[in-house]
Amino acid sequence: MFKQPSKPIRVSRRAVLAGTASLLASPMVMRSARADAKSVNIGVVQPLSGANAQFGINSRNGIQLVADEINNAGGIKALGGAKINLIVADATSTPTTAGNVAQRLITQNEVTAILGAFASSLTIAISDVTERRDIPLLTMSFADQITGRGFKNVFQVVAKASVIGKAQFDYTMAIAQAAGAKIDKIAIMYEDTAYGTAQANGLRAGAKAANVQLVMDDAYPLGITDTTPLINKLRASGAQAVFPVSYLNDSLLIIRTMRQQKINIPAIGGAAGYVIPDFEKGLGEFSENVLSVNTSNYDLAPDLTERFRKRFGYFMVHEALENAVALDVLVQAIEIYRRLDAGHDRRRRRIRSNGTQCAFRTIDGAMAEERARHGLAEGNRQGARDLEILIR
Amino acid sequence: MRSWMIVAAALVVACLLPLSLDPQGYWIRVLTFTFLFAAMAQAWNIIGGLANQTSLGHAAFFGIGAYTSTVLLMKFGISPWIGMFAAAGLGGLAAFAIAIPTMRLQGHYFALATLAFGEVLRVIANVWTSVTGGSSGISVPFSPPSLANYSFKLLLPHAYIALAALVIVTVIFEAIRRGAMGYRLRAIKENPSAAEVIGVDTTKVKLQAAIISGMLMAMLGTLYAQVAVFFDPDTVFSAGSISIRVALIAILGGIGTPVGPILGAFFIIPLEELMNDWFSASAAGLSQLIFGLILIVVILWRPRGFVTLLKSLSAKLPGVSA
Amino acid sequence: MEFVQAVIDGLLIGGVYAVISIGLTLVYGVMGIVNFAQAEFLMIGMFVAWFAWAWLGLDPVLAAPLSFAVAFVIGWLVQGQLIARVLKAPSVAQIFLTVGLLIVFENGALMLFGSQFRSVTTPYQTMSLSLGSLFVSVPYLIAFGMSLTCGVALWWFMRASWFGRAMRATALNPAAAQLMGIDAGLMYRIAFALGVGLTAFGGAVILPYATVSPAVGSDYVVLMFTVVVLGGLGSVAGAVVGGLTVGVIQALSALVFPIQLQNLILFLVFIAVLAVRPQGLVGASR
Repeated sequence: MFKQPSKPIRVSRRAVLAGTASLLASPMVMRSARADAKSVNIGVVQPLSGANAQFGINSRNGIQLVADEINNAGGIKALGGAKINLIVADATSTPTTAGNVAQRLITQNEVTAILGAFASSLTIAISDVTERRDIPLLTMSFADQITGRGFKNVFQVVAKASVIGKAQFDYTMAIAQAAGAKIDKIAIMYEDTAYGTAQANGLRAGAKAANVQLVMDDAYPLGITDTTPLINKLRASGAQAVFPVSYLNDSLLIIRTMRQQKINIPAIGGAAGYVIPDFEKGLGEFSENVLSVNTSNYDLAPDLTERFRKRFGYFMVHEALENAVALDVLVQAIEIYRRLDAGHDRRRRRIRSNGTQCAFRTIDGAMAEERARHGLAEGNRQGARDLEILIR
Repeated sequence: MRSWMIVAAALVVACLLPLSLDPQGYWIRVLTFTFLFAAMAQAWNIIGGLANQTSLGHAAFFGIGAYTSTVLLMKFGISPWIGMFAAAGLGGLAAFAIAIPTMRLQGHYFALATLAFGEVLRVIANVWTSVTGGSSGISVPFSPPSLANYSFKLLLPHAYIALAALVIVTVIFEAIRRGAMGYRLRAIKENPSAAEVIGVDTTKVKLQAAIISGMLMAMLGTLYAQVAVFFDPDTVFSAGSISIRVALIAILGGIGTPVGPILGAFFIIPLEELMNDWFSASAAGLSQLIFGLILIVVILWRPRGFVTLLKSLSAKLPGVSA
Repeated sequence: MEFVQAVIDGLLIGGVYAVISIGLTLVYGVMGIVNFAQAEFLMIGMFVAWFAWAWLGLDPVLAAPLSFAVAFVIGWLVQGQLIARVLKAPSVAQIFLTVGLLIVFENGALMLFGSQFRSVTTPYQTMSLSLGSLFVSVPYLIAFGMSLTCGVALWWFMRASWFGRAMRATALNPAAAQLMGIDAGLMYRIAFALGVGLTAFGGAVILPYATVSPAVGSDYVVLMFTVVVLGGLGSVAGAVVGGLTVGVIQALSALVFPIQLQNLILFLVFIAVLAVRPQGLVGASR
């Protein structure tokens, strides 16, 4: 029986710098940054309506916080104190509209870069537009497809979903081993959009590598209103641990139904629904014995998250933090470039090859390095330049 | 006589319009999708308007079209132009498959059964990962830009293809409406039993209309795939953003008329974009809210569609026939 | 045993589906309108109950009458000001007016309440009764009980009260009803307000186990329509039969097919039933 509460993966700021190095190679940032001395337009395309509104709004808030802080501290110093001017637009839930919106921001508002758009399908639609126009797109969407198409201007600030999935599994195994328990039968259940499916792939790969039997491996439709059949199946499967990948309302349904049926096996959730305070509020004492992994968490940047809480009145959720970091990285890229001299082509080549080296500077232990290596190796295999935030 | 001149003038304007826009820009993109959705609404109009069967599941054919041509391109390297015809074949088949069980259904029952059908296909596309890529979606493989490959660097050719599609579908619509099939469909609409009595094979006629509509919708799905380059089941099989939207466009413009879907598309799509531009930054949900309010106002004001506005205008101008 | 458990689960959830769908079929039965915005009233009912819980500490099931009342008033206004104006218009115009309402309500709620998912904690939320090796979930049981009560109350209202009979008369033949001194406009207003009120009531009842957000309606809308059409549009008994049927189909299909295909199986059965009985399971033949 595992007694720890939520155990987050941490994000290191030094790793962020490493990622900045890759961002520097993007020509558009440099060109536009030079163009306007007074202000830099940065596009924020997030879903501000529809089913993902909550996440889009949180993301926008995170970006807003960092933009205001940078502006209050004097703007972008390398550009003579140019202020960041956020151009916010609703991506809606339709990828076609997201693409239109991105195009509008590029053409009419002349944005230097775009941050967006939480949902992978929206982000991919935007990436087509930004790639054509050589505008950098920074995203925390973690579907594997985003960076897997060889685009030069897309930067993913978190690990891929499949990497998180594998981490979700590997951590659990490590904890089990440390506690002296042996797990050979597990259950996976996941919501069937791109997010859940990708992360489940990672879980499956982890289980296969560790020779653990999957006694249940089920997808469920995202808007599911009743999880009883799912939990009935879980009960019948004899799993020793369950790995659900869900958003908040399905996570609450799942855990509540499990408790109703007196199922007390450990549940290890994966990001999204399991690491927000609403989850704990929703379940009270029943949130004990639910572990989780996340792409980033509040306690590694406590000052920032505290400022977020003071300004917006709620906990800084992971998408807000990740988007905030994305903006920060973008600005740092602009700052650093301006201080670089000529010969940047040579530097660009060197940075690309050094990129992998830089990322290892923030290691915190052999395990972390292993995970990082795995994450980056995946990235390299895809042939894309990921802006990987190192997992500690 | 006059109405031909208006149509010709409109066509000339439509052909010149894309050229006047920035080829790398925003409005050419909006125009392309406007033409495309107008064509989609026109395809819907064939059974929604002429046969008076409100289908809320047209996304089924659209999605089949998009996936068919893309999968053929991906797995066998078949050109999208040929894939488009394969798409039409499958779309027609699907139309047949849904028309049979829903043949006897009245109004609202038909609408909801077709909605269910659209959802069935969406779930299938989500689950059949080996063919469709599942919920992660599918990317149209890159081909070197050329007309034969249906791949272009700029949006301009896409806009013209969409315009051509709109013209073709409208011509087909008009041919049906003014022809024998249109006459039979009207008879069925007025009084199905009387129609049977005078010798109209209601089943056959409704099936024909459904299949044509399905085939055209599927071909338009291929067009979409080539413009959007990436899509997933939730996008192309969507009840809200495809099925309900194309029906809405045709209805707002004027159901059963050739110009209705065009008016509807040119109203709704730029309106949504403008609302997004003006309001989406101020507050989450505001742009959609205002769009919804405008929709309500328009329906209350012109429940039979914008085309009634045209009719009342032309009634005031002597010598012009609608 | 698994089969029995599935049937029990299906019936319980089916009762819930019935209570949230009864309102939809009532509106159609009396006014002939397919109200796409019906699920938005579910959302409104859930929010009212949530606020009653958050501010007054009221259990959502007890707050259900409050949800009913709020939705009743809103429905009254909406019907009088908007829907009444399109009653003479083509039915497609009516449908799309309700689509517009859906957009307005969902985004209005987003602006008023924010996008956060909210849920309640109640003492019985994770309780279940054990009958041998079978589990009966307590929140579902309570919801089922409330639906039954609701269904019976509505049935009595439609049969025995003057208003109920007047509404049925208006549904059958508005002109004749008018001649008999029944104000059709008033009947429509009552029918619509009652219909949306019932759905809101259902929303409060499911809040103990569901979460509410402005977009929650879209999770239920297709389900509600399936229930109502399967049972037979316009028939209250049909909504109940439809609800129970849908619940049981969902539960049983999970025994054999992957859960991801849950809705697929449901829709295929739905289309098949309609092919054989175009008026729905309970609906009257034309």
